[in-house]
Amino acid sequence: MKFRLSPQTLLVLEAFLEQAEEWKYGYDLSRVTGLKSGTLYPILMRLAGHKLLETEWEAASEPGRPPRHMYRFTPEGLRFARANVSAHANGALDQVALGLIPPSLVQG
Amino acid sequence: MGAPRKLAGALLRAVLRLAPPESRDWALAMLRELDFIAGEWAALLWAIGSTAAILRHAASGWRIWLRGKSNKEAGMNSTGKKALGVGLGMLSALALVGCAFAVLRIAGIVFPALEHSPWAYWLAVLAIPEAVFVIATVMLWRKRGPVAAGILATGLVMALHVAVHLTLHW
Repeated sequence: MKFRLSPQTLLVLEAFLEQAEEWKYGYDLSRVTGLKSGTLYPILMRLAGHKLLETEWEAASEPGRPPRHMYRFTPEGLRFARANVSAHANGALDQVALGLIPPSLVQG
Repeated sequence: MGAPRKLAGALLRAVLRLAPPESRDWALAMLRELDFIAGEWAALLWAIGSTAAILRHAASGWRIWLRGKSNKEAGMNSTGKKALGVGLGMLSALALVGCAFAVLRIAGIVFPALEHSPWAYWLAVLAIPEAVFVIATVMLWRKRGPVAAGILATGLVMALHVAVHLTLHW
């Protein structure tokens, strides 16, 4: 699959991999990843466009409260994220071992 | 509710109204998230970022639409497109010759000695334009074949004109 994996996209994939079966909200993802809406939403749009992410409107839990848009991985998206996030982590560890990047960048 | 949040809401509602159908769900999603953002200025920044995201999404949709349309047009009317390309090539070549004449005239005014110099004349109106035509034809042949053909045709006509002129007068 042709999909550009920027560091920001990897952050989003990592956030989705945390309790991957749960639905997630845009603002929560923004807080977890530290990405602004102008960066986060284009990534969500691309992931959804490639059918890696499914989207749904939340059923209104309380009257008067607007429904929110929710996102979670499709099975294909989950496979894609696991493969790419771990590959990136391995690559990053190799780079740390070679002294190309500082260890602080791959911790956490 | 403070002014920044009001502004953020107004901005996202305007974006929602103006967004193309394929971006509308996303615009609505961003608007709904606004209620969950704690800070006033954070809400405004959220709205500005969201507006940029929707604009980019809409622009990519337009790009895809335009590309699809041009491919369709190419399939439907390729002869017309080729003719247009040849015409464009010829016009470009003629414009270059016109420019060469203009430069020669201006050079003649600035440096009067050049006005009576035959080599300057042949260089400006024949050698340089013909060299440019050959280079342009080679460079454009693969990607813009019809335009290259138009330039080449003009170059050949010009060369033929010069050959006839020389035969008759010398």
